Amino acid sequence: MGSPPLFYKWSSKILPWLSIVSILILGVGLYWGMFYAPTDYKQGDVYRILFIHVPSAILGQSIFMFMAICGFINMIWRAKISGMMLKSAAPIGASFTLLALVTGSIWGKPTWGTWWVWDARLTSTLILFFIYAALIGLHSTIEDKTKADRAVSILSIVGIAIIPVIKKSVDWWQTLHQPSTFTITSSPSMSPDMYQPLLICVIGFYLFFALLLTLNLRNEVLEREKNKNWVRQLFGGLS
Amino acid sequence: MMQSSISDWLTIILRRDLIIAFRRSSTYITPLIFFLIVVTFFPLALGPQESLLSSLAPGVIWIAALLASLLAVETIFSEDFRDGTLDDFFISLEPSFILVFAKVLIHWLITGLPILIASMIAALVLYLPFESFIPMIFSLLLGTSFMSLLGALGAALSLGRSAILSAIIVLPFSIPTLLMGTSVISSSLINQDFSGYLMIMGAMLAIGIPGLCLLTVEALLLNYE
Amino acid sequence: MLPNLKVENLSSVRSEKVIFDNINFEVMPGQNIEIIGSNGSGKTTLLRTILGLINQDKGQILWLDDNDNYNKFRTFDCFYQGHQLGIKNLLTVYENLQLTKNSIGMPQEEIYKLLERVGLSNINDFAANLSVGQRKRIAVARWLLKEFKVYLIDEPFSALDDKATLLIEDLIKELNAKGCSFIITGHRPSNILASRMEI
Repeated sequence: MGSPPLFYKWSSKILPWLSIVSILILGVGLYWGMFYAPTDYKQGDVYRILFIHVPSAILGQSIFMFMAICGFINMIWRAKISGMMLKSAAPIGASFTLLALVTGSIWGKPTWGTWWVWDARLTSTLILFFIYAALIGLHSTIEDKTKADRAVSILSIVGIAIIPVIKKSVDWWQTLHQPSTFTITSSPSMSPDMYQPLLICVIGFYLFFALLLTLNLRNEVLEREKNKNWVRQLFGGLS
Repeated sequence: MMQSSISDWLTIILRRDLIIAFRRSSTYITPLIFFLIVVTFFPLALGPQESLLSSLAPGVIWIAALLASLLAVETIFSEDFRDGTLDDFFISLEPSFILVFAKVLIHWLITGLPILIASMIAALVLYLPFESFIPMIFSLLLGTSFMSLLGALGAALSLGRSAILSAIIVLPFSIPTLLMGTSVISSSLINQDFSGYLMIMGAMLAIGIPGLCLLTVEALLLNYE
Repeated sequence: MLPNLKVENLSSVRSEKVIFDNINFEVMPGQNIEIIGSNGSGKTTLLRTILGLINQDKGQILWLDDNDNYNKFRTFDCFYQGHQLGIKNLLTVYENLQLTKNSIGMPQEEIYKLLERVGLSNINDFAANLSVGQRKRIAVARWLLKEFKVYLIDEPFSALDDKATLLIEDLIKELNAKGCSFIITGHRPSNILASRMEI
């Protein structure tokens, strides 16, 4: 699937399956989490937002990792499609990160009593969002798309190197300023009844990302190759 | 025949750029004044209580230092690119990342170093205890150097575009430096060990010098296409 | 004698547009190549591609090394003068010549002599106050700091009066006699001895 036309043909075949499977799994996971999973004895039903918050936070980070890998491939082998992938993944990653921030904030209101707490996790997610914004902003300022891809590749590699440092330093910063009181996620004793639907949700989110990425990438491919013969043939010579 | 080595050339670049910087005094005075003005804003905005200011001093000094060091960042390459001097870096057979490093060093000498000196004045007027001066200097030394490296990459990526863009794309990446830098000074205020933070900052610098310089070369070459 | 540089089949495409296609030439020592084309025809891109600043899409550039083999990597320094002449406004005429890589270890008198040779007497003036023609003379003086096997000069004859044109023609002839080659670009053919090609 290295070349754009090949990717386009291949993705046309896989797209219906991917849509069905991802929406099915996501639906099952969310339905299970929202209606069947037991109520938390401490937080009540509010905790159910976790089934959206945790997967989107995981996705926010994974997509950045994915982008950095694309960036690396784009820098070394100059593969066009990897640059397009990087570009198409960025807004999806930013959206998931934003979703994690918003759901975290909504969750915070009943549990902490405020909309925002400078909790280590939320803070590093916020910084991740800023980095996404920097990448998207940089891409939009460079007119030549291939050049923009390479510029963003460079920045994404710096990003992946610095994100662990950010996480670590935010952790230290928190322990220095306010000894950690209460962390919402990763309570060690999550019951399997809650853990299983969460796992399904995470898988569902990943598949959903794959679906969004494919759709986004197909648009990007068409947009960039609109003057190529294969696109013209595909759309019956319209231009 | 005279064989010119890379160190001779580096000396020439340093000499040339420092001569130019001194002839245009705004290059090193602007970040300095900017730093002092930002520092002055805090007592004006928050009130002049000694206890309040001394507890805020680490953060204030570091925010001012970060902003000031990014102020002139787009000038690192823009002039050399416009007048064609930058071409020499990539046409010569010498490794270009070393030449890029020379430019970063010059940027640090005309922004980081003045900030370092001004930070002592800032520490005085913000009532930072004397014991914290040494940690502050060390953290700023490591931190502003890293900021110059990061700024160079931002400048290379946004070459010929708006000056503010390079600062915006660099700021999120400067957060660890801000956190570590303030932690060094804050820890010294409460007599805690701060060597760990300094070591991380040193490690970031040690990885950043080759890593960021190489990526900056890649970013600069994009502008030739 | 072997050519110092062979350009084979060189093509460049930028965002779907062909900049130049199938360029072939060899640069023999002491001989010149002149590339003629209008503005935006890709002359500068071609020079930069030869130097490796830009990657080509097809073809190759082969450089002679000390063992008479051809490599994709250059083993000797070239002289490149782009559209921008690399002149610093805040340096004097003299400093603009002295503070460059090629003048390392060169005594002061030699540099004075070079400046005299290209007709610059106001050596302590800042370059900011110079006319276009005078700036070009500084750039030309740099050609003589060292002898290079290959000089790549982007439009050496643009915006020059007759006297300066003659000076440059003389210098090219003189350097040709020493075995140096020039690859130059221009809008129309110049008077120098060269094999010409249009792009």
